[in-house]
Amino acid sequence: MITIDEITIVRDGREIIYDYSEQIPAGSITAIVGPNGSGKSTLLAAIAGDIAPSKGTITIDDVHPILTSPALLAQMRAVAIQNQSYHLGFTVRQIIELAGPADDVMKALALTSLADRLVTTLSGGEAQRVSIAAAIAQQTPVLLLDEPLSAQDVSSRKRIIELLQKLAESGVTIVVVAHSAEAELTWADKVIKQFL
Amino acid sequence: MKRLAPAILLVFATLIAIYMGAAEIENFWSALISPGSNEILWQIRIPRVTAALIVGASLALAGLLAQGVCNNALAEPSILGTTAGASLGTVLAVITGLAQVGSIGAIICGAVGAMAATSLTFKLANLRAQLSSFALIIVGIAVSAIFTAVVGLVSTMVSRADARSISFWNFGSLALVTKENLVGISITAIIGAIIAWRISPALDRLSLGDATAFHLGVDVTKLRLIALIALSLLAGGAVSTVGSIAFIGLAAPHIARFIYGPTHRTLVFHTAIIGAFLVVVADTLSRTIAQPNELPIGLVTSLLGAPVLIALVSLKNNVWRTQ
Repeated sequence: MITIDEITIVRDGREIIYDYSEQIPAGSITAIVGPNGSGKSTLLAAIAGDIAPSKGTITIDDVHPILTSPALLAQMRAVAIQNQSYHLGFTVRQIIELAGPADDVMKALALTSLADRLVTTLSGGEAQRVSIAAAIAQQTPVLLLDEPLSAQDVSSRKRIIELLQKLAESGVTIVVVAHSAEAELTWADKVIKQFL
Repeated sequence: MKRLAPAILLVFATLIAIYMGAAEIENFWSALISPGSNEILWQIRIPRVTAALIVGASLALAGLLAQGVCNNALAEPSILGTTAGASLGTVLAVITGLAQVGSIGAIICGAVGAMAATSLTFKLANLRAQLSSFALIIVGIAVSAIFTAVVGLVSTMVSRADARSISFWNFGSLALVTKENLVGISITAIIGAIIAWRISPALDRLSLGDATAFHLGVDVTKLRLIALIALSLLAGGAVSTVGSIAFIGLAAPHIARFIYGPTHRTLVFHTAIIGAFLVVVADTLSRTIAQPNELPIGLVTSLLGAPVLIALVSLKNNVWRTQ
């Protein structure tokens, strides 16, 4: 369970999120929807422990991410950021293995045939799937994904959603940031629309 | 074979470096296996070639750490101000009588200078809590220029012979290395190499960016601090003993990445071997091609390293290509 309690987040002097509370149930998929600049990615970053709220608290199963060491936090939550860039020519397999075991997740996301390709040679959609695969390979109870479907074709979207649903059934808490243009969010158990 | 090629080349280059010089060594092989038997061999040439090996490995590892920790293909000790900081630290220690060139005291002062200059670069390039790649290079060049200018000023203002010339600090020389100098640079090289080896997995993760490295459990601030200490020790040891030698910190890690890929644990070993090889070859050339004169080694490393680097960058299979 992720508990967001009356948080306010100020960045560069601008109030991005004000006095916001929410509860995200364990073992489910929650989608945060909103247009660009609405603060949904900021909320995800705050849950991930990247930024501290100016007021209020966020807890993941009673643990405060912002007060937890990076090593311990990496066992609690995994994150796939938007537009992950790759500078060094690791292969797809090497990138995923930096996070955890690669074989199963590569198979589930149709990346096995790309395993030995340099990540710097992938298309946007393929690179996004590698980023999602790495987050899943980290095998944490909480999975935070920033616009994971934005660069995917229909079949890849279906594949990713099916995998996320399977993970949620096994008890993983999944939070997905989705653009407001995202047509159907029937695959999510809960949709947060406060950022619309 | 690919794994061992640089090591085999290094052994050959080392033997040639020990063999070649102004004076011919009689019964070379028997003198080589009898320590102390030949004064030129054991008092001059072997210490010098050993220093070349250690300095080459140190500068190469310093470059690998600089590139890894800045996540920037252009970062290297001379661009980050590390080399100039080490020069200034050593020059100040020498002219104040605190230490002699090549002594452990000078190495400590060099490492402190290296750390001060690099920290300044990191601090000034840290924009919006992120190490900006562009600012890092611009600020690093500026910090380097300031420290180099101060080294020049201080070196011309004092007449003490042991302060050495501006040319020594700008281009480096192994001509004055003694057996006693080897202890200090061996210590810094070993400590630097062990730290580089230990932080290698974290450097792999850092190549995905600060945010993703943090998500994967890396304490980025702590990692940068540890790498900064190792980088300063490696560059401080090398520069305070033999002056600045250009291009090794840039060329050796790039050559190693091209051959062995981007994984830092593999790169630590191979980068050190390639750096040692480049400096041994450059030093042999610098003291043999214009006999009886000796060329500054920094000129030779630039002439050797730059074309290799250009050739590698222009090849398609470049591991530093950005997506």
